[in-house]
Amino acid sequence: MINIQDIRDTARDMLAKGEVRAVIGYRRGSRGMLAEPAFITDPAQADDLVWDPTCFHNLSLYLVEDRKFLTHVRKTANAPIAIVTKGCDARSIVVLLQEHYFKREDVYIIGVSCEGTGVVDERKLAPHLNGFQASNAAFDGDDFVFITAEGEKRLPAREVMADRCLECRIPFPKEHNAVFGEDKTGRQLAEPFAALTRFETQGTAERWDFWSHHFDRCIRCFACRSVCPMCYCEECVVDSITFPVTTETTAEDKANRIRWIERSAVRSENITYLMTRAMHLAGRCTDCGECERACPVNVPIRLLNNKMEREAREQFGFEPGASIGGPSLVASFLDNDPGDFIR
Amino acid sequence: MSDQQNYEPRIVAFLCKWCSSAGSDLAGVSRIQYPANATPITVPCTGAISPMYILSAFNKGADGVLVSGCHIGDCHYIEGNYLARRKMHLIMQLIEFIGVEPNRFRMSWVSAAEGAKFAQVITNFVDDLQPLGPQDKLKKAERV
Repeated sequence: MINIQDIRDTARDMLAKGEVRAVIGYRRGSRGMLAEPAFITDPAQADDLVWDPTCFHNLSLYLVEDRKFLTHVRKTANAPIAIVTKGCDARSIVVLLQEHYFKREDVYIIGVSCEGTGVVDERKLAPHLNGFQASNAAFDGDDFVFITAEGEKRLPAREVMADRCLECRIPFPKEHNAVFGEDKTGRQLAEPFAALTRFETQGTAERWDFWSHHFDRCIRCFACRSVCPMCYCEECVVDSITFPVTTETTAEDKANRIRWIERSAVRSENITYLMTRAMHLAGRCTDCGECERACPVNVPIRLLNNKMEREAREQFGFEPGASIGGPSLVASFLDNDPGDFIR
Repeated sequence: MSDQQNYEPRIVAFLCKWCSSAGSDLAGVSRIQYPANATPITVPCTGAISPMYILSAFNKGADGVLVSGCHIGDCHYIEGNYLARRKMHLIMQLIEFIGVEPNRFRMSWVSAAEGAKFAQVITNFVDDLQPLGPQDKLKKAERV
C-alpha cells in the first residue's frame, strides 16, 4: 500500500534543500475525479500531490518539453527535476536516456509501483456509475473506490482497469532514485498481449475491414504524437516545417518538394502516418497507452505498437526500456535474426 | 480478354547498388527474358532503406514492393543487410497485420553474379501479384 504522504514528504524535502528545481507529479484536476499533471517548485505546494487510479499521464513527456525549452533559451539545468513515475513511465525515461536525450543526473526518478492494480479506463468505468460523475477515486487493495453523488462505489479493479495495465508485465519502475510500493512483477491479471492475440485470430480480410474503418476515422489531430514522450523529433516527417522558402524558391520547387505524407485526413495518408509512427516507435514504445487514451476518435493505436513490441520480443528477444546501456532495436542485429521470408 | 489477363502489376524494386543492381544489369546483358513490370530504384545499401520508402511506394500506387540486396555476409558496408533484415521483417509484419496481402512485399538476396536468379525473383513476384489484382488499400485516392 502506498502512502501518499511519503511521496509528498520526499518532494517537500528535496525542494526545500534545493536538490531539485521542480517536482513533476499529479494533483487533483478540475474535472471530477481526474488527476492532472502538477509542476511544483514551492515546497509548500508539495501537499497538492496525489496518487490515485486516475494518474494515467506519462509525465516523462514533460522532461522532453523541459529539455526542448532549455535548448530554446540556451540555458543549462542547474539541478535535476524530480518526477513521479509508474513502471511504464520509468521505462520511457530509460529509453530517452538510452537515446541520450538528457543525462541520468538531470532527472530524479520517484518511482511508484502500481502494485496489484493500475490506472482506470474511463471508457470502461462509465457504464458502472449510472450516469453520475465520480468526484474521487482511490486504490483499496484489489478494488477501486469511487465517490459519486450516489455515494461510495466499490468496483473490482480488473473490471475497470485500462487494458494496458491488465496486460502489463512489469508494473514496477526498475530504474529509480526512490521507490514506493511493493514490487509485484509477475502478477498476471491478463495474458500479455491478450488483446493483440485475440485480434490476430482473424483473417486478412477481417483485419483489413477493421483497420480501414479505423484509418478512415482518424482526423489527424496529432494528439497521439503530442502526448507521446518518444515523439520528440524537432521536425516530424508529416510536416516538413524546415523546407526553406526564400525569394529564390520557385513555385515548381515548392510544388515538387518531398511530401512523404500529405496532411489531408484521408485513409491512405492516415495509414501511412499511423504505420510510420508505429515503425518509429518499434523498440521504443513502452506501452504507456497514452496515444490511445488521447485519441478523440478511439483509434486502437495501441494494437499497432503492441504488434511491434511483441514482434521485437519474440523474434529479436528485445525488451524496450530494459536498460540504459542496451542497444536500440533497429540499430543492432543478431546473426540468427529470422530471415526465412527472404527469397 | 478479361481485365484479369490485361492486368500488369507495377513493382517498385529497391536494389542495392553493389549486388542486386549489378545482378539486374547482368540479367539484361545476358539477354535473359523476364517481365518488364519492375521499376528499379538503386539505393546505396539495403540498410539505407527506410520502411517509409515501402509505405510511400504503396501510397503512390505500387502493386508490389521488392527489396533486394547482397547476401548475408557480403554487404559492402559489412552490416547493412543485417540491419535491413530486421527492419524489413518489422515492416512486413506490420503490413500483413493491417490486412494487406503479405505477397505484396518481398525481399530477396541477389548477388552481382546472379542475373538468372534476379530474373527468377521478378518472374515469381509477378506471378504471385497477378491473382491479387491492383493494390488499392494503401494507394492515395484519386483527386475528384
